[in-house]
Amino acid sequence: MSTNENASFLEVKNLVIHYETDNGVVEAVNNISFKMNRGETLSLVGETGAGKTTTALGLLNLVPNPPGRIIAGEILLNGENLLKMSAHQMQKIRGSKITMIFQDPMTSLNPIETVGEQISEVIRLHNKVSRSEAAQMACDMLEKVGIPAERYGDYPHQFSGGMKQRVVIAIALACDPELLISDEPTSALDVTIQAQVLDTMRQLKKELKTSMLMITHDLGVVAETSDNVAVMYAGEIVEYGTLRQVFKDTRHPYTQALFDSLPDINKNVKRLIPIKGLTPDPSSLPNYCSFYDRCTKRMEECKKTDPAVVDVGDGHLVKCLLFASERSGHE
Amino acid sequence: MNKFLEVKNLKKYYETSRGVLHAVDSVSFSLAKGETLGVVGESGCGKSTLGQTILHLRKPTDGEIYFNGEDISNPSKKKRHDLCRDMQIIFQDPFSSLNPRMTVKQIISEPLKIFNAVKNKAELDERVAKLMETVGLAKRFVNTYPHELDGGRRQRIGIARALALEPSFIVCDEPVSALDVSIQAQVLNLMQDLQEQLNLTYIFITHDLSVVKHISNNIMVMYLGVVVERTSSQGLFAAPLHPYTKALLSAIPHSDIDVPRDRILLRGEISSPIEPPPGCRFAKRCNYATEKCFAEDPVMEEIYPGHEVACHHVKEINAIP
Repeated sequence: MSTNENASFLEVKNLVIHYETDNGVVEAVNNISFKMNRGETLSLVGETGAGKTTTALGLLNLVPNPPGRIIAGEILLNGENLLKMSAHQMQKIRGSKITMIFQDPMTSLNPIETVGEQISEVIRLHNKVSRSEAAQMACDMLEKVGIPAERYGDYPHQFSGGMKQRVVIAIALACDPELLISDEPTSALDVTIQAQVLDTMRQLKKELKTSMLMITHDLGVVAETSDNVAVMYAGEIVEYGTLRQVFKDTRHPYTQALFDSLPDINKNVKRLIPIKGLTPDPSSLPNYCSFYDRCTKRMEECKKTDPAVVDVGDGHLVKCLLFASERSGHE
Repeated sequence: MNKFLEVKNLKKYYETSRGVLHAVDSVSFSLAKGETLGVVGESGCGKSTLGQTILHLRKPTDGEIYFNGEDISNPSKKKRHDLCRDMQIIFQDPFSSLNPRMTVKQIISEPLKIFNAVKNKAELDERVAKLMETVGLAKRFVNTYPHELDGGRRQRIGIARALALEPSFIVCDEPVSALDVSIQAQVLNLMQDLQEQLNLTYIFITHDLSVVKHISNNIMVMYLGVVVERTSSQGLFAAPLHPYTKALLSAIPHSDIDVPRDRILLRGEISSPIEPPPGCRFAKRCNYATEKCFAEDPVMEEIYPGHEVACHHVKEINAIP
């Protein structure tokens, strides 16, 4: 693997993650593969239980074990397989090379430490700097995310939700990571605050040239932040492409159904078109297309085989039999 | 206009150790039968408190409420009890609003039992079965517990419970916020169908502007306990007049990547509702605020027929003669 700047610096190959519970094996992530280039923002979109967060935890090797287990696959960061690393090596990567912002800013901060201390803690953990240097860097970081440095000594409860999420972003970006994973970073925030936070994230990403893996269920947020999009359903990526390919040239019936079920501010629709039924139980997934039961375009063959991933043009990947004839299989 | 529900200067204040919290402040509106009034605003703007105060789940501090022409501002205990037949609520979180130790059947039949609305067990069973059918819950779930069901189905239980006494008015407090989009669409369609079939009147409380546009006839925008703008759903989205509404609408992330974005970023965050200073509640974050805005409370003014706004500078901002 080359280490040249334009090559994909993150590559996930055939990742499989299961949760082994008393009630059977929950197949959370099933054989997913994707690549990311430096500076790119990739969104993982899907509904509750699609395996988005598990994928992210997998990248950090943080899947709770037990019951979770990474069964197979490779996660290559600059050509190095993270899954082969020791716990100690991995600890050095987390927080410095790959960092994560969690959904709920209210619970991801330590309530009994000042926000400044929490930021400088990460800096000191990964850089050889003195206490006062770290504090200075933490103050700079606070300013960068739009919080006055004077608030270094304040505790999380003294901040509002949007401000707390800014602190979390400051912690995540403090060590200038290569990859920032954001798990629903704005879902807990109000829209006007969400707009502010997304704006800050966009600016920082540009400034620091960080790559971002954005996990969200909100197609609006995806449209505003991403370069590429991966749509997940039942632990699989069913459609992948550039933002334009997925949003304007939607191919997979599930992606289409997601768009149809969303009330759109710009249109006047009398009735929404919901997706019939429910997502399949991840502990007993079918051996054919997992969207079959809810699909409006299903065919007889769909029940016979697990569809292969097809490139429908320019790297636009779709996992659906409807397109099997368009191009030869992806792999 | 036939006024099915009329609220005049409704206030709900709370005494806190730091002063009086103005959760709902002088809210007035009226609602025709069969109509849906959407109430939008961000967390802490008082929209849920408003819904609960109208239903007397919280005692109003001041103000008048008329329901079907009858003054229910200060009902007797018995009257308050009887009102439950006509006014119901669907709560936001289908995970915490259902008793985990009751089965679906017990939950749905509870209101029927409290009001002795059925004569015998056979009739009760029949009514429960009918309600489950109405909301699209399969018969086989009748003896299951809420934890065995997904969010969409649980919310259907909440809806069935609200419908049990055949109310004419329902406050829907963020009924789809906890649901995934595909399920959200199912529940929204169900609520629209029920409204048509049963001629229900809704107050639909939500922070999701695309949902509120879809379901409401009229929309009321709240900020820090007060109403800042009220008009038809179409009118609001076509031409919002209040600076807060403009910013709120512009902040919604669009899923259409070809629609140009003209975002108005607001400064700061919502201020405290405790002992609010005089003047416009939004003034601190407003790009157009002047001295007057910090001194005088703006009042609701009809700018266009059926389009009311509370802003001192609404005419300059929107270049209205």
